[in-house]
Amino acid sequence: MSNEAHSPYLPIPMHVLHAYYESNDHSLKTLELSFDDPQDAREFFAAYNPGQFCLLSVIGKGESALGIASAAWEGDFVRFTVQKMGSVTTALHELKPGDPIGIRGPLGNGFPLEDWKGKNLVIIGGGCAFSTLYALTKHLHHPSNRGDYGKMTVIYGTRTSGLCMYKQDIAAWHQREDMEVHQAIDVPEQDWLHHVGYVPDVVREVQPSPVNSVAVVCGPPIMTKFTLPALVELGFTPETIFTSLEKRMKCGVGKCGRCNLGPKYICKDGPVFSLAELNNLPADL
Amino acid sequence: MPELDALKAEAKRLLDEGIVEMVIGFKAGDTPLHPQPAFFKTSEEIDQLVYNALCQNNLATYLTRFPKTQKIGMLVRGCENRSVNALVFEGQHPRENLYLIGIPCEGIIDWRKIIEKTGEEVISVFEQSDNKILVESKSGSFTLEKTTLLHESCARCIHPNPISADIVIGELLPEGDPALAREQVAAFTDLSLQERHAWFRQEAERCIRCYACREACPMCYCEECFVDHVSPRWTESGTTPAGMQGWHIVRAFHQTGRCTSCGACERACPMDIKMTYLTEKLNQDMRQKYNFEVGLDTETPPPFSTITLDDKSRFIV
Amino acid sequence: MNLILKKDQLNHQLNAWRQDYEVYAPQSLQNYTHFLPLQDGFELALDKAHNTRIPPKALFLPTSEALLKFTRVGGYEQVPTETTPRLIFGIRPCDAHAMTMLDTVFEQERYTDPHWQARRDATLLVGLGCHEPCQTGFCTTVGSGPFNHAGLDAILTDLGDIFLVETLTEKGESLFSQLETATEEQSAQASVLQQAAAASMPIAFETEGLKEKLDQNFDSPYWEEISRSCLSCGVCTFLCPTCFCFDIVDEAQRGERVRNWDTCMFRTYSLEASGHNPRPSRVERTRQRLSHKYTYWVDQINQIGCTGCGRCVRYCPVGLDIRAMLRKANQLPSEVAHV
Repeated sequence: MSNEAHSPYLPIPMHVLHAYYESNDHSLKTLELSFDDPQDAREFFAAYNPGQFCLLSVIGKGESALGIASAAWEGDFVRFTVQKMGSVTTALHELKPGDPIGIRGPLGNGFPLEDWKGKNLVIIGGGCAFSTLYALTKHLHHPSNRGDYGKMTVIYGTRTSGLCMYKQDIAAWHQREDMEVHQAIDVPEQDWLHHVGYVPDVVREVQPSPVNSVAVVCGPPIMTKFTLPALVELGFTPETIFTSLEKRMKCGVGKCGRCNLGPKYICKDGPVFSLAELNNLPADL
Repeated sequence: MPELDALKAEAKRLLDEGIVEMVIGFKAGDTPLHPQPAFFKTSEEIDQLVYNALCQNNLATYLTRFPKTQKIGMLVRGCENRSVNALVFEGQHPRENLYLIGIPCEGIIDWRKIIEKTGEEVISVFEQSDNKILVESKSGSFTLEKTTLLHESCARCIHPNPISADIVIGELLPEGDPALAREQVAAFTDLSLQERHAWFRQEAERCIRCYACREACPMCYCEECFVDHVSPRWTESGTTPAGMQGWHIVRAFHQTGRCTSCGACERACPMDIKMTYLTEKLNQDMRQKYNFEVGLDTETPPPFSTITLDDKSRFIV
Repeated sequence: MNLILKKDQLNHQLNAWRQDYEVYAPQSLQNYTHFLPLQDGFELALDKAHNTRIPPKALFLPTSEALLKFTRVGGYEQVPTETTPRLIFGIRPCDAHAMTMLDTVFEQERYTDPHWQARRDATLLVGLGCHEPCQTGFCTTVGSGPFNHAGLDAILTDLGDIFLVETLTEKGESLFSQLETATEEQSAQASVLQQAAAASMPIAFETEGLKEKLDQNFDSPYWEEISRSCLSCGVCTFLCPTCFCFDIVDEAQRGERVRNWDTCMFRTYSLEASGHNPRPSRVERTRQRLSHKYTYWVDQINQIGCTGCGRCVRYCPVGLDIRAMLRKANQLPSEVAHV
């Protein structure tokens, strides 16, 4: 009967566990959400794959599509980092611990981790789009996963050091033996120890090897536009370069039509696409 | 009937002499009832110019798409000329970058009235100089009187002549009888409050929020329409009674002192909704209370679009 | 199984169905026809116009519907979908065919839309074929036809005083169990009429190679040429039986999360919060509309996403004709060198 049929438009009820700013200008805020019903948590984590996203639902305001910024092993909560942009993200920024919230997800395809097994991973992020790459890196760090993958190189650029997300964790990553971390900011700052420059240039500086490697790039469109050719220059092929796309979304399940890129829906067939797939899709972003 | 050869000659001259970069007019449609708005850039293209009583769009609606620096020629009838004047006053295009070819207008035919008489399967429509319209349809041949087919806005048109065109091609026509416009308004305002509300509700409830009326209207050029505003949401977004009534009422009010009674909104509506009864009432109020009619020149400030420091009402200043 | 329904028995049949179903049929509303539920004393409008102004997709995907009702601060519940058994009588083959395409969107394995599903499961479609196809229709050009069976439980052919009834599904058969069987002569007469109707329709544009041309010419000035006078309103898409795009909006005052018909032709459709718009003008939006129907749908379901109903042609406020646009597309080069 229709009344009981599960609706893909029905948010999973959750509450805010933690809420704290990531960036010094308060434009970025991290929310950690817990499930009201443990069964929902079980189903969520059984389906979850890094690279997926959720639609966060603020009743009375609307929904916003956000990449999942946590790994399943971190606990029975889901983390998102929200950039304050419009009416829904403003409402998300106003949430406090204990406030109710809904999510719909996990949605999308996520990163093709099975295909990437045995490969070296070059993880390149810019700005607030780094959130799903953070989730990916955390996922890979877990002992049960780390051994399946080769060398990890993370390149993460932000306009200023204050805008860098997940500062504590990333500081800890610099100490790890099993990965290389390259942080970058656009213009020099006092006491900055790492790269200065735009991400595409930093990629050329770092020169990650394409041998047995895949590269995944998540950033603002302008960054992605110039980073992909830099990787091609370095010898990566379209099949070994991946990116996560964004477009305005509403339903998140491939029905409302608006996030299409040619015959593909970014919400359902993506958001992760290889460059090889993108080369066959219209430049409609 | 418009003198097509003279129109073409003038349009060609404008393009050949570089007076304008483009002439906006009409060309033959792909279906018999709908000539299409056309944008002619060369003299050769002007050969495709068509002008007849089925040209049912207000061409001024296209003006706000083009950069203000662009020199544009436009074929304008009475209402279109006034729409252009209103747009010029609102700073949407400088008058010196416009060349208006004026056409005194005998009225636009409502294609719906044709199909009411001939059925939907119209094969051809031909406008004769004696005000007869010859229609071939699958149900037969029909000779119809143009006056019986006019869109209602045209049947009660007061200003058929372009009043500030750079050149007028065609015989000037007598002004219409203002009593006709008052009649239409009275037909609505003479109803009781309940009857008026029932009428309004009945019209608005067919609305599907396609916004054809808004896009066809030259005065609706806001980059963000009030219905698109999210915080706060001014009207409901869907086809609930509140949403549809809100849409129709507020759009009519946004037209106060700006609507030139062209009727393009009604002609564009796919659900045959009547809406000019609202704007005509507001136009009448402007005439009676403010002695104002939009578009008669480009200098007189529309009362609802202007504010001066010595306004009687001080609440804003 | 072919049966005969005498025309003077039609109302009786409809009333019989009304015992078990809410029956919808084309009736006059203002100056056009509309699928309305039959009330006592109903008057059908089967001859007035070929097709209803609004396509019957509106009976499955309403112009606005509530998905969630808000119950308290932050609380909400799913709005149940009514499941009254319904019968739509007099649906044209173009519209029924379009319904099967919409099913591929709303009834996907991974995410089924319960509102659409419930209505579809509870509704039968009894079609009326077009023995005199309309001029603005081009169903035969796009792989449909005036007597196409897709999506129908039964289809009627008008033979003058009688309808020949072809039942196409079990449900359809059960609807017409009281009727007498058609004679071979009557069946043959219907067959001839159906083929003649389809043959009478001119081919509106070439579909062979059309997809490739549209794919290859993404950056062509063609798109600007065909969309120059487009008003960017929603008439073509809202009246289209294969269009399904919707918006989801929180109406805080009503306490509902609603979905409304939306269209790729509106500027706000893909406008992002940052202000960036992938389709800023009618050029890109027209390209999206035509490409969705004539190439992206083909990639997705191996069918052109248009059944040639002709409504977009009849009701475009500026007279744009998709058939003319596609004839022009037929002239585009098939292979374009990409830098």
